[in-house]
Amino acid sequence: MTRGTLRRAVALLEVDRRRAAQAVALGTLALGCAVALAAVAAWLIARASQMPPVLTLSVATVAVRAFGIGRGVLRYCERLVSHDVALRGMTTLRTTLYTRMSQGQPAALLTVRRGDLLTRIGADVDTVGDVVVRGVLPAAVAAVLGVLTVGAMALIFPPAGIALALCLLLAGVLAPVLAAAGAGRTQERAAEGRARATASALGILDDAGPLAVAGRTHAELAALAAADRDVAAATDAGAPASALAAGVGQLATGLAVLAALVTGVPAVTSGRLSAVALAVVVLTPLAAFEATSVLPAAAVQVQRSRAAAARILALLDAAGPALEPAAGPTHGSPSTAPDAPDASPARPQDAALVARDLQCGWPGRPPVVRGLDLHVEPGRSIAVVGPSGSGKTTLLVTLAGLLPRQGGSLSIDSTDLDLVDRAGGAVLHVAEDGHVFGTSILENLRVARGDVTPDQARAALGDVALTGWLAAQPDGLDTLLGPDGRTLSGGERRRLLLARGLLSPAPVLLVDEPAEHLDPGTADAVVRALLTRHRDRGVVVVTHRLTALDAADEVIRLEGGRVAARGTHAALLASDRRYREDLAEESREDA
Amino acid sequence: MRPLDPRLLRHARAARGYVALTASLGIVTAGLVVAQALLLAHALGRAVHDGADLSAIAPWVAWLAAVVGARTLVTALQERFAHRAATRAVAELREGVVAHAASLGPRWLATGQGPGVATLATRGLDALEPYFVRYLPQLVLAATVTPATLLVILGLDWVSAAVLVVVLPLVPLFMWLVGRLTQGRSERGLDAMRRLGAQTLDLLAGLPTLRAFGRERGPAARVQALGDAHRRATMGTLRIAFLSGLVLELLTTLSVALVAVGIGLRLVHGGLDLVTGLAVLVLAPEVFNSLRQVGAQFHAASDGVAAAAAAFAVLETPLPADGTRPCPDLARTTVRLRGVSVTSATGRTPDDLDLDVRPGEVVALAGPTGSGKSTAVEVALGLLAPDEGTVELVGPAGTTPLADVVRADYWSQVAWLPQRPVLEPGAVRDVVGGADDAARSAAAALTGLGEVLDAAPAGWDTAVEQLSVGQRQRVALTRALLSAAPWVVLDEPTAHLDAAGERVVLDTVRALRTGGRTVLLVAHRASLLACADRVVALEPSEQPVGIAP
Repeated sequence: MTRGTLRRAVALLEVDRRRAAQAVALGTLALGCAVALAAVAAWLIARASQMPPVLTLSVATVAVRAFGIGRGVLRYCERLVSHDVALRGMTTLRTTLYTRMSQGQPAALLTVRRGDLLTRIGADVDTVGDVVVRGVLPAAVAAVLGVLTVGAMALIFPPAGIALALCLLLAGVLAPVLAAAGAGRTQERAAEGRARATASALGILDDAGPLAVAGRTHAELAALAAADRDVAAATDAGAPASALAAGVGQLATGLAVLAALVTGVPAVTSGRLSAVALAVVVLTPLAAFEATSVLPAAAVQVQRSRAAAARILALLDAAGPALEPAAGPTHGSPSTAPDAPDASPARPQDAALVARDLQCGWPGRPPVVRGLDLHVEPGRSIAVVGPSGSGKTTLLVTLAGLLPRQGGSLSIDSTDLDLVDRAGGAVLHVAEDGHVFGTSILENLRVARGDVTPDQARAALGDVALTGWLAAQPDGLDTLLGPDGRTLSGGERRRLLLARGLLSPAPVLLVDEPAEHLDPGTADAVVRALLTRHRDRGVVVVTHRLTALDAADEVIRLEGGRVAARGTHAALLASDRRYREDLAEESREDA
Repeated sequence: MRPLDPRLLRHARAARGYVALTASLGIVTAGLVVAQALLLAHALGRAVHDGADLSAIAPWVAWLAAVVGARTLVTALQERFAHRAATRAVAELREGVVAHAASLGPRWLATGQGPGVATLATRGLDALEPYFVRYLPQLVLAATVTPATLLVILGLDWVSAAVLVVVLPLVPLFMWLVGRLTQGRSERGLDAMRRLGAQTLDLLAGLPTLRAFGRERGPAARVQALGDAHRRATMGTLRIAFLSGLVLELLTTLSVALVAVGIGLRLVHGGLDLVTGLAVLVLAPEVFNSLRQVGAQFHAASDGVAAAAAAFAVLETPLPADGTRPCPDLARTTVRLRGVSVTSATGRTPDDLDLDVRPGEVVALAGPTGSGKSTAVEVALGLLAPDEGTVELVGPAGTTPLADVVRADYWSQVAWLPQRPVLEPGAVRDVVGGADDAARSAAAALTGLGEVLDAAPAGWDTAVEQLSVGQRQRVALTRALLSAAPWVVLDEPTAHLDAAGERVVLDTVRALRTGGRTVLLVAHRASLLACADRVVALEPSEQPVGIAP
């Protein structure tokens, strides 16, 4: 994490320079009113004590009142403008994130956990935006106001101007640096302890019952207390620097006043400075440090935001630049192999997904599936079975083109899958953790295809045995589902996602464990419907239920990442002992 | 919002010393602020009015330097201990809340305010830090510096004091008025903000799904539009929320300006001397300074206060009473449930359950999802008190209600495998327990853990955290086999396992029976049910039916 991280992230906010300048100008004027109020009030009182005609004071009395009003009003405007700038920036950053994530490497999305993704685009973007309101703009205001105040002071009495400049640097540069260092030290040392404390607390709350019965609650609470002690020790490590920062800020004001007094009084004695000007020079610094007083907090905010910026940039970097569909008809790009038989995108209707000697695995890890051949075209259904951990899900994700393959070839309609524009939607992966949007059931199904009619929706829900469930919904297809489908049970959710997959126009469907969370009867009905009722498309199903697989054209049994047996259900029953045993076991259980 | 809740001092010991320190530093600060103003006024007044040279005012300047030094020290001290106290107080509350919530039991944690406790304990209470570090010190200063400066001004010049005294109560009054007038609007605004924010996040969270369907391009415009709508709603709210800040600044700055003008005009007419005038001018902003800071920190602090209040609500929820009698030997005791019902949001599950688990017996609880199997287990384990019915331990020495038994004593005789195994981190060898390697290997061969460990390079030293859920389940089964507990409870032990894994569970249950252990089994697969001595089927809201094996 370097300084450049935050700068890059802030650049992505594309802050409107005109509006930002406006905010700085308003902020400078607002705090300038406070400084001017102090200066003019000092002049007014010092001059008044010389008992001049009242009329000579009239401008000053009016000015004092005007500055008194101006400060509040201008500050109000400044706050509105600066928040508007930041909010615009956050929207821009979110849109950029969305666009880049939607068009970059698909694997970037697979490697981030859902909750983590929400944090990055929710809280982290807010935190980067906060830097503008609480960091960048206040610093700019302090800098501009500092220069103006020092300049005005130097015009009246140069030594006081120099002293004020030095003290402002103490309060506006040294104090924030110290504060950031203190906060940084605490943050760095506390991070590990905080993570442990969070994990401990969540562990105890999630498993309160099992831990109590196992007699381990006290040990876990002790671990939580130990983690908290580490956090406290880390806080103590950063505290001296923070204390010094606060002290320096306070000291700077006092020093500026003292310096003005000590240099100004001899100047009055020697006649180089008027007595009235002395009052102005000594009292103005009391109001000049308001702008710098918020800077230590600003520096800490910058420190905090840097971590958020790093997380956002990591997401963007993983997504990479937007992928251009290299094989589009208008893209005769040199990366297209000259011997590619057909450079036009696959026509979905006659798409055949063909894998030869395919190797799949996660980037940087050894392949979990090796040497797989597969041919699926409209009208053909394939079931992949095997013990958990045999690489079934990894295979599906690779077939969907979401994970780069580690070896072999993979093509759709004779075109390498890597060269096909994925937005063409020839292959659809129905993921088990697909998202249920916080909208109506019908709209959720329309994610598959914008023109799904209510009748088609009902038919699809019927295919996945959700007709009864639909009938129980208060508003039928228009019933609103809670955010992320929290109102659904695991089995309902899985089947809703499957119904959505069935409604998509994709000619090849890849379905992960449609039978999970379902009782055996329903599970078999759903798998059977999936394998038989959609003869206009190709289907690959990963499942642990074997009973319904007589409906599949081919069954592939994986074991240890290799094809242990393949053929029709009947052929496997005849030739593969393990398959036979597993099926017998399943029927015994269902009995 | 109560500015300083006495419960905070009761539940967080670290807060007590800090509040005392802050209060004393606040009083010292008040003295220093007044001293600084008077010293400065004297030094400057003499120089401006009487033309005194530096040597004539040197004592004043020296004292002024001392006061500046003292204020620096006080500020640094306050900051030094603020973070420390905040971290420790938050830790105390977190530990208290977690311990108390865990004692309230799984059912309490799953319903009502229970699920919120996790957020409260991990992030919510952190909001107390700005309360301790920023808000509380300013609150104390508002209680010390404001009256002290006001009194000194009153002593110096009652006219200026009168102006300030008139304005001072206007500050809270106007803030309250603005708050009242804008409350409805800003709540509506906040509501719209939350809704729009949630919709944006929903779209972003669904991106992988949209991408799978090839429909990811359209919503970018929608993200932008939602963001713009969110900004407009937020700005609408802020326009109103910032009004209170505007009123505060207007009143305080304008009153200082009025005081300055008043002093100036009276100086011209000779009604006041310059030193007094300067002292009042320097002191007047200090009257409002801490009040303004309190106002500025109010929102940050109110989150912390709300979190603290939520923590107190948890801490003050009464705990279910633990029993006082020792637990009889479960190897010779029947656990008897009679007419047990638990009412939840989905109905009465279980409903009027009778269940006897006799020593040495394998009893299976069967029934569709949602019929209350896991709840029945929680009742039998004493983790949940039934709404109706009784749980009794019937032994040779007589009958004891489970509620009267010391829970920890009861649990020390129980090995429980919940659906998702809960294992402490560490090497498999240490986690499974057992007397020696031979016993461990024998048990592991039965549960299939042996196979897993044979494939792992570290063998028995493999860390539990590195295993998959299915493999951890085998670790948990091995531990149950090796434990000396006479009572073993297995909740859906075949979830996460394929057919081969299931055979392993059957073998384990048979081995447990052979070892004379009592087994309570929650199962829905026929093979598991078949190996039980008795199956008790639960039906939602119907009488359970006993089936002979």
